[in-house]
Amino acid sequence: MHSFMPLTTVFPGLVWAMAALALVQTARRAALWRVGSAAPVAWLHGLARLPRRYLVDVHHVVARDPYASRMHAVVAGGLLAASLLTALAILPPLAQSRAYWLLVALAFAVTAVGSVLVGARRYPAKQKRLSAGRFQILPFLLLAYAVGGTLTALLLAVGTGGIALPFTLALAAAGGLGLAFEVRQGPMRHAVAGALHLAAHPRPGRFEGRPDTALQPLDLEAPRLGAEMPADFTWNRLLSYDACVSCGRCEIACPAFAAGQPLNPKRLIQDLVAGLNPAEPPYAGNPYPGGREAEGERGPLARLIGPDARIHPDTLWSCTTCRACVEECPMMIEHVDAVVSLRRYQTLERGALPEKAIGPVTELRQSGDAGGRPLPARTDFAAGLDLPLMADRGQADVLLWLGEGAYDLRYGRTLRALVRLLRQANVDFAVLGPEERDTGDLARRLGDEATFQALARENVATLAKYRFARIVTADPHALHALRNEYPAFGGPYTVVHHTAFLLELIRAGRLTPGRLPDLSVTYHDPCYLARYNGETEAPRAVLDAIGLARVEMARSGKRAMCCGGGGGAPVSDIPGERRIPDLRMAQAAETGAGVVAVACPSCTAMLEGVTDRKAEVRDIAELLLQAVEAGR
Amino acid sequence: MTRLRRDPRAERAAIQVATIHVAAGARPRYDRTAKGAAKGAALAADGRSRRDPRAERAGQRVPGANRPRFDLSQVVAGPAVRGEMPVVGESRQPAAPKIVVVEDPAFLVAVVPDAAGGRLSGHDRQVLGAARMLAGREGGVVVVSAGPCEGCGPAGADRHVALAEPGADPAARAAVVAAALEALNPRHVLFPESLDGGDLARRVAVRMGAALFDNAEVVAATGLVRPARGRRVEQRAAPGLLATVAADAVPDYGGAPREARAVTVETVPAPASNLLSAERIPADPATVPLALAEFVAAAGNGIHDLDLFRQVVAALHATPGASRVLCDAGLMPRHSQVGASGTVLAATCYVALGISGAPQHLQGIAGCEHVVAVNTDLHAAMIERAGLAIVQDAQAVMAALLGLLEQEAARHAAGDPASGDRTGAAS
Amino acid sequence: MKIAVLLSAGRHPVSGAAVLPRLEAQAIRIAVRLGEAFGVLDGGSAPFGLHAGPDAATVADALGQGLARIEHLVLPEGVDPVPALAEHLAATAPDVILAGRRGQGGGESGIVPYALAAALDRPLIADVVSVAPGDEAGTLRLDQSLGRGALRRVVVRGPVVATVHPDAPASLAYAFGRARRGTIVSLEPTAEPVAGPAIPVEERPYRRRPKIVKGAPAGGSAAERLKAATGESGAAASGRLLVDPAPEEAAREILAYLRRVGVVAPDSTRPNS
Repeated sequence: MHSFMPLTTVFPGLVWAMAALALVQTARRAALWRVGSAAPVAWLHGLARLPRRYLVDVHHVVARDPYASRMHAVVAGGLLAASLLTALAILPPLAQSRAYWLLVALAFAVTAVGSVLVGARRYPAKQKRLSAGRFQILPFLLLAYAVGGTLTALLLAVGTGGIALPFTLALAAAGGLGLAFEVRQGPMRHAVAGALHLAAHPRPGRFEGRPDTALQPLDLEAPRLGAEMPADFTWNRLLSYDACVSCGRCEIACPAFAAGQPLNPKRLIQDLVAGLNPAEPPYAGNPYPGGREAEGERGPLARLIGPDARIHPDTLWSCTTCRACVEECPMMIEHVDAVVSLRRYQTLERGALPEKAIGPVTELRQSGDAGGRPLPARTDFAAGLDLPLMADRGQADVLLWLGEGAYDLRYGRTLRALVRLLRQANVDFAVLGPEERDTGDLARRLGDEATFQALARENVATLAKYRFARIVTADPHALHALRNEYPAFGGPYTVVHHTAFLLELIRAGRLTPGRLPDLSVTYHDPCYLARYNGETEAPRAVLDAIGLARVEMARSGKRAMCCGGGGGAPVSDIPGERRIPDLRMAQAAETGAGVVAVACPSCTAMLEGVTDRKAEVRDIAELLLQAVEAGR
Repeated sequence: MTRLRRDPRAERAAIQVATIHVAAGARPRYDRTAKGAAKGAALAADGRSRRDPRAERAGQRVPGANRPRFDLSQVVAGPAVRGEMPVVGESRQPAAPKIVVVEDPAFLVAVVPDAAGGRLSGHDRQVLGAARMLAGREGGVVVVSAGPCEGCGPAGADRHVALAEPGADPAARAAVVAAALEALNPRHVLFPESLDGGDLARRVAVRMGAALFDNAEVVAATGLVRPARGRRVEQRAAPGLLATVAADAVPDYGGAPREARAVTVETVPAPASNLLSAERIPADPATVPLALAEFVAAAGNGIHDLDLFRQVVAALHATPGASRVLCDAGLMPRHSQVGASGTVLAATCYVALGISGAPQHLQGIAGCEHVVAVNTDLHAAMIERAGLAIVQDAQAVMAALLGLLEQEAARHAAGDPASGDRTGAAS
Repeated sequence: MKIAVLLSAGRHPVSGAAVLPRLEAQAIRIAVRLGEAFGVLDGGSAPFGLHAGPDAATVADALGQGLARIEHLVLPEGVDPVPALAEHLAATAPDVILAGRRGQGGGESGIVPYALAAALDRPLIADVVSVAPGDEAGTLRLDQSLGRGALRRVVVRGPVVATVHPDAPASLAYAFGRARRGTIVSLEPTAEPVAGPAIPVEERPYRRRPKIVKGAPAGGSAAERLKAATGESGAAASGRLLVDPAPEEAAREILAYLRRVGVVAPDSTRPNS
């Protein structure tokens, strides 16, 4: 009995020691986050909401991979439960209870099962998307801690102990302290940084059920515009990058990665982490396509972007800002914000836009249109349709925002269809015509915040002259800018996508479409409608209302793949091995549908540009017009 | 004063064309040109000749056009009001154009053409047309060329001053031209607003201390018009001493050839050049940026043998291009991509080998004047776009084309070695 | 190596917004590259802009496109800028003065660089696409565009004035942050305004006139001109279509067509450009 008493204290003591070690490691890491700039964080609110954010929002994402979800639930739940229970055993009454130790043993056993599940993803062969490196030792640490803990607790429960106990305890200690040590720059960092990140998330709106996707306005008076080095990010963003668990879900979702363009979102985040911390262990996941090795100096004040720096400019400009990585990230990291922040510095401070993007951005700044086309020519597509102008009317129920697509011959067809539908439904609408400028979406995604803000102010001033209830637009990029980003510039508008508006007209009986049962169609969700604004149902409801045979692509809704047309990617035109729209059209072809329904001018242009495509690309407005005409 | 009564019936009968009249049911036809003769005697009694607008009109007719065109400037000086004879333009018989001679021009309008390689460019001809318009009937157009220049007469020049070639330095050329102009003392001097012409005009203007009215889009005796402020406004001024004429704004001279009589003026020696060296680097079709290339041959999905394609392109001395599919596949470099998302061409001629012609691709060649398409698909958009469309396997046609070019080169080298050497050195 | 870029108050060709003329933006890029070649990037010897006119706000864009400093000679509207510019340039004596082909906002005749070159007694090299240090010290190598990618490479010694051709590399992107940091120095010119040669003009809104269409038959109908303008002129109007010819015949046809068009030299002499 001599050794029995201390061991019931030593074992909980081990967990307390682990906690202390983890705390020390966290503090060392937190010193790095503090180099970031200040950010307002509602700590109390965040901490209070932490369990909900974790159990609902994070779980929702993690559960998309059922194996990973189960694995994580078992291993993390077991680990937390076992450690907490053991830690509580420091209280003598509990330590005396054999039943309690049995419970602890059970918790450790669950952890052990989880550890095996963790290991099974990495041994004998690692899943492709996962990173190797220190993550490869994680299953062993977990297993050592869990098995050691199980045996120790069992021995304590049985009360025999004896010569085996120190060995099992040593095993648990090796695993446990190893895990705690890994909190600073190993796999276990995700647990601590992830939890703190959930509490101090830079976009708390994400957890309140609204799509908090608008880019935050940049103060153009700030001494430095955008992010050049890790220290230019706010501290909670630096924290968020540390939360990355290198699971690689983002790289699977990333269209640029799939197309072989030099972008891998996981690698990008890891480069930001490694840029911050010179001592970071080497990256062990999939590289940027093209296989560029990391180079350049590290440290909070080291330049991040450059041909000779950690992140090549081509990586930065490959991003289509489709938010697929953000949507898939179980750690709720905001990759697109990071990309835009870095782009802002490149564009605003260095003028280092990709060569091909300089022209469009310059035209946008100088003439209010990326193509440098005359603004009155925007309504040329409607020759013969006699579009009512706001300038003549002064007010209308609906302001139809035409967007950049109006200049495009192909998309003009869609807009003509939309205008005819509005006429058909007797909608009181008007357009701005020559007064409409580009929303500045392209400039903003390419980091030219100054041009975006100038255009936004001009558009807000124009819109302020007229009275209208709602803005309807067929361009999700314009919709996103007007609905989510213009409020920061004094323009709160009710903005409706044309598919939602058409659905409303159908439901109100103002449009009575016939049915087109002969067409088989698959709907391609625009990123800026589905992911940025959460609208996936209205377009499908319109398609269903006209009785089409609708099939879904493997990736659809909020998890749809981008067409490659966003974020200025078409103008940056970073070479890859494949083209994103080709990949997307191939996915559409897998469904066998004869028509790919689209709801965005960029998607139309990108998907129509695919050579040798079998399916027709048609906007929902065109299909609806056909149905309405068939119904007469 | 009594006037003789006309007998319209008799007049008409006199001019009726008999040959046509015999055809049964045909409309009677009249030779209106004979009218004057028919009534000439009657009018003579009046002592005043009547104008014959029809004949005047015919006199103004510009020969050589398949639709009648008239040179209205001829009417101002038309002797119809003075002489007995109605105007019968020298150009009345287009079959045998007579050379127009202005013996003693009332004033001179000088044209300083680019005349690269001793030949007038299209733009030069337009400037001559403009000068002819300013000179009217009484003035004379004098071409002042630095170096020899052919074909000035048919283009509308009455006089021609061929200065000694002053060398490559434009400053020297300007000095020589300015001296010649001062000696000629023309009323107006016109330059083409081209790279060299515009440069020369400004140098001459500074040297002569005269104002330059540049880039005139309208040239008339009443005034010159040019765009300004980014084409927001246009500026009109009476023709001054120096002006440059925009390209494709004024038609060529369309009248009868003029004599382009050689005149010599006293010249000054060209001043010493500031240039240490000047060397012409011709555009290498293989490497010239696609957007600048004159002649582009592009490969598309219908081509598998890109080595053969490169050989054909080299043999044609064309600039290689490609459709997006080939660039995406990495078979051709990205900078060779033709189309809206690649390069928009300004080429004169485009040869599309195995390219079906996606809309984006066609946007890229919208500016090409001549298109040749070789494609197996009769319904391809490119076939429709092309001036010469060949529905055939592009691969086979390329091989035949290369064979043909090689054959020619071989024949040429064998038959005319001297010439072969020369071109070999030049290329 | 001191490099000056003449800047003018331009208008966007479509929107009419006040912008830096494109050629001058391209001139800035050439100036920046030349400055880099000579190792002058920042400080007082970096390339600078020079504007003469009532207001420098319109040329402030140049600060975001590569220049750190603009010297602004304040002149009333409508005054010939040449005397003031000549005086200032004679005093600052830049080694290279770059200008667009035709400054906007003033007389717009493109004569200013020529008048300055004459006033400063320097050679003027027109339509350059690149300026680089020559092999010999003190010399400059300038590539003049002859159009279609052909160049004339001239080497000059000493200070020059050069105008820029549109085929020069595209302008640098506008960087808002740089524009914010750049400075505009206002200077009062001391030169007496001298009236240069000018033509009294009458202004009215621009009216677009039909271009003489190449390839359209003289005196042709509107339809023929339209055909010529839309690229279906001449030989193309006939739209020759050969279906399944022998490859050899097709090759002969193509070659004959290319010769008729004039892109392949006639007979078997080779084209040399």
